[in-house]
Amino acid sequence: MRTRRRLRAVCVAVLCVIFVVGLFAGTVSPYSYSKQFRERPNAAPSSSHLLGTDSLGRDLFARLIYGTRVSLLLAPAAALLATLIAGLLGGFAGFMGGWCEKLILSAADLSMALPLLFVLLALRAVLPLDIPPILSVIATFILLGLLGWPSSLRVVWAATKNLKNSDFLLLARATGCTRWRMIARHVLPNLRPILLAQFWISIPVFVLTEATLSMLGLGVTEPLPSWGNLLRGLEDISGVSANPWRLSPLILLVLVVICFQLILPAQEETA
Amino acid sequence: MPSPSPLKKKLVLISLLAFALPARAQTGGELHFCLRGEPKTFNPILVDDDASENIRYLTGGVLIRLNRQSQALGPALATSWSVSHDRRTITFHLRKGIHFSDGTPFTSEDVAYTMRLLMDPETHSPTGDAFRSSEGAVQVQTPAADVAVITFPAPIAGLERLFDQVAILSAHSPKKEMAVLGPFYVADYKAGSYVLLHKNPNYWKHDAQGQALPYIDSVRLDIQRNRDIELLRFRRGELQLINRLEAEQFERLQHDNPAVTRNAGTGLDAEELWFNQSPAAPLPEYKKAWFSTKEFRKAISLAINRADLCRIVYAGYAKPAYGPVSPSNHFWFNASLEDPKYDPQVALNLLTQAGFRLDNDTLKDRAGNRVEFTIVTNSGNAAREKIAAMIQQDLSQVGIKVNVVTLDFPSLIERITRTFDYDACILGLVNTDLDPSGQMNVWLSSGENHQWNPSQKTPATAWEAEIDKLMREQATAATEKERKGKFDRVQQIVAEQQPFIYLINKDVLVAVSSNVVGAAPVVLNPAGFWNVDILRLGPASEFGVQK
Amino acid sequence: MLAVLCFAGGLLSASLVRLAPGYGVDERELDPRLSQASMEAIRNAHRVNSNLLSYYGRYLARAIRGDLGSSEWLQQPISSLFKERFPVTAKSVASGVLLAWGIALAISLANVLFPGFFVEISGTLVSGLFIVLPAAVVAIFSVYLHAPVFLAIAVVTFPKLFRYLRNLLGHAYSQPYVLAAQARGIGQARILFHHVLPLVSPALFALLGVSLSLAFGAAIPIEALCDSPGVGQLAWQAALNRDLPLIVNLTLLITLITVAANSLANVANERAL
Repeated sequence: MRTRRRLRAVCVAVLCVIFVVGLFAGTVSPYSYSKQFRERPNAAPSSSHLLGTDSLGRDLFARLIYGTRVSLLLAPAAALLATLIAGLLGGFAGFMGGWCEKLILSAADLSMALPLLFVLLALRAVLPLDIPPILSVIATFILLGLLGWPSSLRVVWAATKNLKNSDFLLLARATGCTRWRMIARHVLPNLRPILLAQFWISIPVFVLTEATLSMLGLGVTEPLPSWGNLLRGLEDISGVSANPWRLSPLILLVLVVICFQLILPAQEETA
Repeated sequence: MPSPSPLKKKLVLISLLAFALPARAQTGGELHFCLRGEPKTFNPILVDDDASENIRYLTGGVLIRLNRQSQALGPALATSWSVSHDRRTITFHLRKGIHFSDGTPFTSEDVAYTMRLLMDPETHSPTGDAFRSSEGAVQVQTPAADVAVITFPAPIAGLERLFDQVAILSAHSPKKEMAVLGPFYVADYKAGSYVLLHKNPNYWKHDAQGQALPYIDSVRLDIQRNRDIELLRFRRGELQLINRLEAEQFERLQHDNPAVTRNAGTGLDAEELWFNQSPAAPLPEYKKAWFSTKEFRKAISLAINRADLCRIVYAGYAKPAYGPVSPSNHFWFNASLEDPKYDPQVALNLLTQAGFRLDNDTLKDRAGNRVEFTIVTNSGNAAREKIAAMIQQDLSQVGIKVNVVTLDFPSLIERITRTFDYDACILGLVNTDLDPSGQMNVWLSSGENHQWNPSQKTPATAWEAEIDKLMREQATAATEKERKGKFDRVQQIVAEQQPFIYLINKDVLVAVSSNVVGAAPVVLNPAGFWNVDILRLGPASEFGVQK
Repeated sequence: MLAVLCFAGGLLSASLVRLAPGYGVDERELDPRLSQASMEAIRNAHRVNSNLLSYYGRYLARAIRGDLGSSEWLQQPISSLFKERFPVTAKSVASGVLLAWGIALAISLANVLFPGFFVEISGTLVSGLFIVLPAAVVAIFSVYLHAPVFLAIAVVTFPKLFRYLRNLLGHAYSQPYVLAAQARGIGQARILFHHVLPLVSPALFALLGVSLSLAFGAAIPIEALCDSPGVGQLAWQAALNRDLPLIVNLTLLITLITVAANSLANVANERAL
């Protein structure tokens, strides 16, 4: 138990450090993420470029830090959105039952069946061309949040159904509590730990989804860096063995996700 | 006397065998390489994508073959041909005694049948459209089994070379388009996986010793979109050829195993940037004014560092391009035009002349609007994205802010052909044809591919009107020299006006395993296997197997 | 219910494709060799499908008779495309899920039968290592290591499956009567098959449903990146090419599978509750 708590503390510390570095990317990073040092493309790590440069001569360390800002700040926002929607809809479905429940669950199934990749393609194409790149990234993450709720929904729904049959709720019903009051004062507060757990679980999922999307070409557009964007360099497999420092975004991603996983108490994950 | 040592015995044996072996070319084996996409059709008349075109090259028999190496036309199924004075009629004398891959005899009737199908108004293919210079039906006469006379309604520029794309179909064979006259025929096809071609036993070509071609028994074409996987498989020895490598891959392969890499030279393909000059574009008026100003476009062209693009994006395997014709196109390239040097200062001077001014590192126009625009290009093309990122930095040196947006292809095409809702676009020009007549739709102001301002009812500017006149004249000019003179002038106008800002011409990079004998990659398509019928597979001496 | 969902799903995705920018344009429009007449013909071919509801109505009428229409991009009948590609995906998904289940069960059982910090942390680390890799990276590594596609799918499915399974089994084994049985000295195998499994089987079915839909969802980027000729790659290419008939059919297929998998989960959950 003690080891577990210590481990959790270490993970939180690591995450905070990375988060703060990402937040103050401008001060920490020596260069801008888009400045091309054209005399030094694909350079190995050195004193002037801590992680070397990419194929266009841009400092990888700077790109990693700015990429952290994008991925680590926006993924929680998307996760929050998704968890809130899941919480509201799941709670509603579990509590009301009947056709309401059926409708919401069907909507969830339908939403999962929709080709996410296609919706994102469509979104990119619809956005006006002259908006700043950061806005298109925010739009992408909002969309991810809006489409990401089905997976959390079932957990919330199952938990609500459990709650519905619990004693204190029965007591509240017996004392004449109205439906809305029950939802607001009894159901939702008890759902909070579950929602919190889902929020923590979703963050790495959104980070990974963004990574996969960027590798397929649908995520954050150049020159704005994000972890997924930087991972595209991995597609060139022989290039990676020649320049192993290109793995640094993957290592950072893995570290952050592991930290998130270890923070989460094991008991709070149920099917 | 002591008996000869075992080593000596071996040497004697080997040398005996070497003399005993017949001095004939080694035959057999399977050539294995990849198609980059799914072939949409095996019917040579309907071919309009790369994968199908490759299959057509491998299986189709043509009347006249353009030798990809010498760039000259030579006899194939036609032993000789003659074009009438008015350049409307072409008479072919066909090779006798030839049969299709299934045994059906080849006669002039097959030529007539093929031309009829090709010229059918319901058929819409680039091959057929190349012959459609005007309205009217095409007449084909077959006075003898080995003579075909084709008459077109109007003269066609460069008529003979168009027949390099026309694979002859059989009029009578029960196998329809699967009966072919080329070196191979399609034996098996699994959608999404591979196409297997077997040697055509009835192929008409023989080598100098009289042996039937092709030497190899079969060709396996895997359908592989991912270039990195393709390279991996080549290194493992699964593939023997990569037709057109990316520059970075080539560089790495060259570093590990130089024997397998071949650079055929500067190719015909170009990357270009153009500005939206369509009056229908939903852009603010001041932006439209910038893009239609010649000095603006020329300044942008001067401010782009093409040498850096070649060095960094293509690892040096590209040359700066300044015009629509690549220097490798020896006949049509206008060598008298001067290449403008990269100079941001001269660019700034030009912009100042046009009324722009630099204000604290920001370029502003006469009205005080900040010069800022967006370049769109297609996603999934790493080289183009890098070019856009580099142009972004180059133009920031003259105070211009550039945004880069990558879109999937259908959305991109919609923007540049339907809605015209874009500022500037970077795309590549794929030039399969040496003759500029193939590009009529690009240069005519009424053309659909006149990308910066397509389908004009009347020419919008004087220089576009002049290009229209010159292009029409070169299509009907009497001699090649006259044609060249006119097209040289077109190139000059393009250099002055910069409707397309040409960026680079890529080198044609091929990887050939060292056990493929006879490979001689060239600049024209198909670069790696244009001479597939004389390729041989030797023993694997030094496979491309590394790492 | 299933039918209604599938119908709605198909209609939804059809409208998405139809209304998204880039519908009805063809790459061939950039080919300068084509004449004006050819361009017109290409554009008109796409206009046929432009009225969405009538298209959908006609499609359904034909689908009932077994004719799924023809792909615009590949120019092949869709039913034959499915027949060729579905077995590939089904095989990789099935093998992947089976492998993931096998390993997850083995490790979770080890966890409960031989408890200890070391066993627990190693399980967490292994699953943690796999869960952090984006599906795309897993796909790329599997290509590099010459590994088959189902291995990539197994790697992607394993982590979540393992955690749920471990919690489930942990929960089951901490039940008082199981502890009592263990204290009594009843054999582990008997405990597993007579006491634990009947308790957890509804939840296991739910988990099976979830893991199947998870694996199927992961199949799309994995197949697209590994160039495996299955349904996933077809879906990705269809989206890129705006092939309306193909996308409608694929959505129907995916909705069918997802809903079936989730219905399994629903049924199991209801029985458990």
